[in-house]
Amino acid sequence: MKRLTLTTLASVLLCSTAFADDITLTMWTESSNAPESVFAQEFSDMDNGITIDVREVRFDDLVAETLRAFATGTNPDIIAIDNPDHAAFASRGAFLDLTPMIEMSDQIDIENYFDGPRSSLTWDDGVYGIPRASNTIALYYNKDMFRAAGLDPDSPPATWAEFYDAAKALTDPDNDVYGVAFSAKASEEGTFQFLPWAQMGGGSFDNINTDGAAEALDLWKRLFDEGLTSPDTLTRGQWDSTGTFNGGNAAMAISGPWELKRMAEDADFDWGVTLLPVREEGGPRASALGDFNLAVFANSENPEAAFQFLEYYDSQAERIWPEFTRMPSKIGVELAPTGDEKIDAAAPVFVEQLQYARNRGPHPEWPRISKAIQDGFQSALTGQAESKEALDQAAGAIERILN
Amino acid sequence: MQRIAHTIRDGVGFDVLLIAFALFYLFAFAGLPILYNVILSFQQVDMFSLGSLFHEITGWENYVAVFNDPLASRVFWNTIVFTAASVFFQFSIGFALALYFNQRFPGASWIRGLFLAGWVMPGLVVGVLWNWLLSGDFGVINWVLMSMGFIDEPIFWRSDTDYSLIAVILANVWYGVPFNMILLAVGLAAIPDDLYEAASLDGATTWQKFWTITLPMMRSTIGAVIALGIIFTLQQFDLFAAVTSGGPAGSSMVAQYWSWELSFRQFDFGRGAVIAVMMIVVVLGVAAIYVRSTRQETRL
Repeated sequence: MKRLTLTTLASVLLCSTAFADDITLTMWTESSNAPESVFAQEFSDMDNGITIDVREVRFDDLVAETLRAFATGTNPDIIAIDNPDHAAFASRGAFLDLTPMIEMSDQIDIENYFDGPRSSLTWDDGVYGIPRASNTIALYYNKDMFRAAGLDPDSPPATWAEFYDAAKALTDPDNDVYGVAFSAKASEEGTFQFLPWAQMGGGSFDNINTDGAAEALDLWKRLFDEGLTSPDTLTRGQWDSTGTFNGGNAAMAISGPWELKRMAEDADFDWGVTLLPVREEGGPRASALGDFNLAVFANSENPEAAFQFLEYYDSQAERIWPEFTRMPSKIGVELAPTGDEKIDAAAPVFVEQLQYARNRGPHPEWPRISKAIQDGFQSALTGQAESKEALDQAAGAIERILN
Repeated sequence: MQRIAHTIRDGVGFDVLLIAFALFYLFAFAGLPILYNVILSFQQVDMFSLGSLFHEITGWENYVAVFNDPLASRVFWNTIVFTAASVFFQFSIGFALALYFNQRFPGASWIRGLFLAGWVMPGLVVGVLWNWLLSGDFGVINWVLMSMGFIDEPIFWRSDTDYSLIAVILANVWYGVPFNMILLAVGLAAIPDDLYEAASLDGATTWQKFWTITLPMMRSTIGAVIALGIIFTLQQFDLFAAVTSGGPAGSSMVAQYWSWELSFRQFDFGRGAVIAVMMIVVVLGVAAIYVRSTRQETRL
């Protein structure tokens, strides 16, 4: 009896010491279906003594919720954060500079990432995370409608002029078909969609009022004025706008690879993807760089364990496209076939478009800069100001934020 | 010692205790936050200094910035139009319905109760429903108006700067009518029937009865309903978030939504607080009217 008690006691002791070695990390993310959540589960199931608790926070609340948590010291160890929001946290020392750990790491090499994602998580020579994935926007088009309108589905619009002509030719009010669906909403999505056009017109976020950017905005305005896009484009996000394309109510749509899965299921017509049209033949290309970064908080008690997870994440880069139709941010990762013919045909287009994808920022005041850009294009599109005038105002507002 | 115990159990001490408890509660959960909000409005607070106790004091800078914002005058007028129109239509339609259901036809009280179904729904759900109803291309409202021949072209309620505020007002009126109706119905039910009987015997017309009995007897109820209506309308946030997000180009932006946007989208908590302070002043004024109109009454 006594021996039994002793054994029990010993085993309890053993268990508890083993337990003390276990590390529990917390991670916040926008979706439990996202790759980091799935990989975190796999990582926890491994025999490494580290468990990751994943908490899902609605995308719209993620920054505000994280700020509040950080202010009260209840923030998680790891966060998946939208890339334009990254700089605000990195610049204020909320995120851990991973440079020393990356130097020691056999897995993560910051040079292996594309320039855009890499710059979004770099601040003052420090490296404050790794990219989760990358996405960008391109032009989807309904090949059946192209044929019906007498356009060649194998040579989709490549310049702004061709794009306008195609939108005009494809618009068919009698059948409730608009030429193009996109998003000019006064939210980050609107900035995401407009900025590439301004950049193709020689602009940038700190130089938004170039003539080319105004020309781009004029083109957008014409789409509205001539009924080539739904007026609700002003208040609709990308997902809803592309929904109208899938439903056959728009002949073209500007959106990203996150649409592919749904489109492959919903769209019962022949569709394709092409690069965003440029200002004129041979003109500069641009696109938006989207998706999240994974960062470790500076006050995490187990930064090494968190970094170990980032290493695991990085090692799974090949799975990001076939399993999640997100594009890996790592150079040289082939997009493995998904088995869906149309998705596989779209893959190389997005890969090429991603080469031209530019960052939003990075700047700690990005939300306010973005708001100024949104005010700019919305006031022009609603006829409250001329395009150039509206962008001049935006540039003035951005100037005040930057200085 | 025993005297103190006694007075607390049964006497002035007990009253003081009750008052102290209520005041403490008010101070801790309403007074302090309001005070903190006023202090914030004079400070420079951004996303990372939010957690620290002391912030850089900027004097009236936030107030100047808010008033000089190109959006300020539009927000000001939009808030007035939104509040006035919402309260006017919620009240008139609510009153009309209350009078209608006061005619004791079979099932009247049942159907009146059913009206509350709309009011008990969460604002965000109502907002999303109206967002669909008001959609330009596929919206039911456009379809009805077009098939009845009122309009030829669809109206882009959410995206047309001339209609975006009206769109939210429509949704808010629908949302607020049942509440107005129920409160007014309670007021109507409390008017003694013999007054109407006496008036009928004296040969008063329905119109005369309404003006000389119903309205005067309902005065305090009406005051309370309108005051509550103004307060609820100034609190209305979900519908803006779901229907227009204050857009396009700020055309449907109102004070409460702007305050939120400045604080939680642009992370400029100082300016968000400025708008909140001004709204508190307005709401306090309205609350004073509400207290006055319910002073002699215990009905509500």
